[in-house]
Amino acid sequence: MSSAQSTQTDSAAGGRRFWRRRTEATPLSWRAFRRSWQAYALLSPIFILLIIFVYYPPILGLVRAFFRWRPGVPATFVGLDNFVTYFTYAETPHELVNIVKLLIFGLFAGIVMPFIMAELIFFVRSAALKELYRLLVIIPMLVPGIVTVLLWQKLYDPYLGPINDLLRAMGLEHLALNWLGEHRIAIYAIMFVGFPWVWGVGTLIYLGGLGQISDSVYEAAALDGCTGVGRVLRIDIPLVLGQVRLLAILAIINAITAFQNILVLTDGGPGFSTMVPGLTMFHSAFRAQKFGYSSAIGLLLFIIAMSGTLIINRGIRPANEELRQ
Amino acid sequence: MTTELQRSPNRRPLQISQLGLHLLIAFLLLLSLVPTAIMINLSFKNGLQYRWERWTLSLPLRGSNYLSAWDVIDAYMINTVLVAVVGLAGVLILSLIGGYVFARMRFPLREPLYYAIIALLMVPWVLSFIPAYMLYNNLGLLNTRWALIIPNVAGGPIFGIFLMRAFITGIPEELYESARCDGAGAWSLIWRITFPLSLPGLATLSVLNFVAEWNSFLWPLVTISDMSKQVISVGLFRLSRTTNDLVDFGSGGPLFAGYVLASIPLVVLFIVLGKFYVEGLVESGIKM
Repeated sequence: MSSAQSTQTDSAAGGRRFWRRRTEATPLSWRAFRRSWQAYALLSPIFILLIIFVYYPPILGLVRAFFRWRPGVPATFVGLDNFVTYFTYAETPHELVNIVKLLIFGLFAGIVMPFIMAELIFFVRSAALKELYRLLVIIPMLVPGIVTVLLWQKLYDPYLGPINDLLRAMGLEHLALNWLGEHRIAIYAIMFVGFPWVWGVGTLIYLGGLGQISDSVYEAAALDGCTGVGRVLRIDIPLVLGQVRLLAILAIINAITAFQNILVLTDGGPGFSTMVPGLTMFHSAFRAQKFGYSSAIGLLLFIIAMSGTLIINRGIRPANEELRQ
Repeated sequence: MTTELQRSPNRRPLQISQLGLHLLIAFLLLLSLVPTAIMINLSFKNGLQYRWERWTLSLPLRGSNYLSAWDVIDAYMINTVLVAVVGLAGVLILSLIGGYVFARMRFPLREPLYYAIIALLMVPWVLSFIPAYMLYNNLGLLNTRWALIIPNVAGGPIFGIFLMRAFITGIPEELYESARCDGAGAWSLIWRITFPLSLPGLATLSVLNFVAEWNSFLWPLVTISDMSKQVISVGLFRLSRTTNDLVDFGSGGPLFAGYVLASIPLVVLFIVLGKFYVEGLVESGIKM
């Protein structure tokens, strides 16, 4: 993280130098370009691929959000119709409530739980056990994402799943529900996937951040009697705010745009109880062939995710970098 | 804290707080590992064991579940490896060249061009998913392996160039100067000097890219309709839909064996590339 930041500032400085150079002399002369033909030749395959397959699609999406668009039919301009349709669609408020729920929960599961786990491991005194715990945190990540979701679907299985088997064995027959099949519960069952949310990249990112805090900071804190929970609150948290910001941005983008787990677990059901805008985007394109409408929802999600990212970027200011090694 | 640092933890009797800490960590890890443990346990069960002894270890272990699973998912596994490796080769070559050009060459418009690439990291996939499908449709690439390879080769170098530029900037300039004195051109500076010295960066990038390809699901789900070209994630998804372990208990074991088999490439990658695997995971978090 810190290395990424330093490269950013380096290149920002490089950027300023470039603009100054341009105003001072005329390095953008034909001769300067011709002398650098090798660099452009080396970059040309990269840019050709980028322009066709990476720049073009989102631009096309921005434009086509205002069109009626389906394969094999010429697209027709419809103005804001696609957006109006989405906002007047009866299920839309429900979908937005669902992403708010997923967002609040995602911030907890993505920021708080990994932090607790990382702190616990960081407080372990034995270096060997610390390594072992870190290894065990990685193991669930060696299972492909789709398999994790399919496994949780089996855990929730009303007849063969261990959750209901356990409840029945404890004599709590009435609590053995069809977790993914009940209107009011399904969305929470989807959130619960991955419990206790301590395995994953978040814990590793925090461990990296905590490891960078200089020993002298901790020694000074200990002399002032700042240890344990007090140290976590007054030293660790301010010094991992950079990591918090990164994970907050990831959690926001994920909550707003991701729908893979929902597609696999409930496909929006039962009824419309677990529908989210991303899934509506997916269904309207690949089931209803409404690609313009679908692009409009994609654009809306992009705007919401981008605003969230900017708010977090402004809102969380990492502490002084000097206190890191 | 100072006193703790001075004393050896081994000689010090284990404090209650440390014991509590270990118990709490063990509890959280146990919960995290339950699904993985259940998967492995169920993968060895025959029909009767699957019906009556699902949550206990039961002998004999039915290893032949893995053979039945392999017969079903072998094509998906091979397809995914093929697509991932071909794509990865392209990503590594383009990232190395791009990283070198932006780190070591001076030319007009260098910074704007670099930012034109890095800015793409900010574009979330939701905005491009639908129009990209239409683009591949118009180019006649749907239902071909190119639909899986091209997005990776074109998009992979975005983060790859970012990563490799930072890495190549760290290579001492003296090495390049002496090679230039010997008359080496850009091409041999890349392959003779930059390539061998940036292997750790390329290893991290490889892990990141391979894991992402191995996990890709939504894009192959919509672009590949021919199951003989399909990748592992979609293959397992379809398999889980068509397997009815509530009626045919014997089909449960092989299904879970398939899940385990699909994890093996990632486990092998982790064992072989350990440190780079962790770095790749962390970088993938930063990449989004």
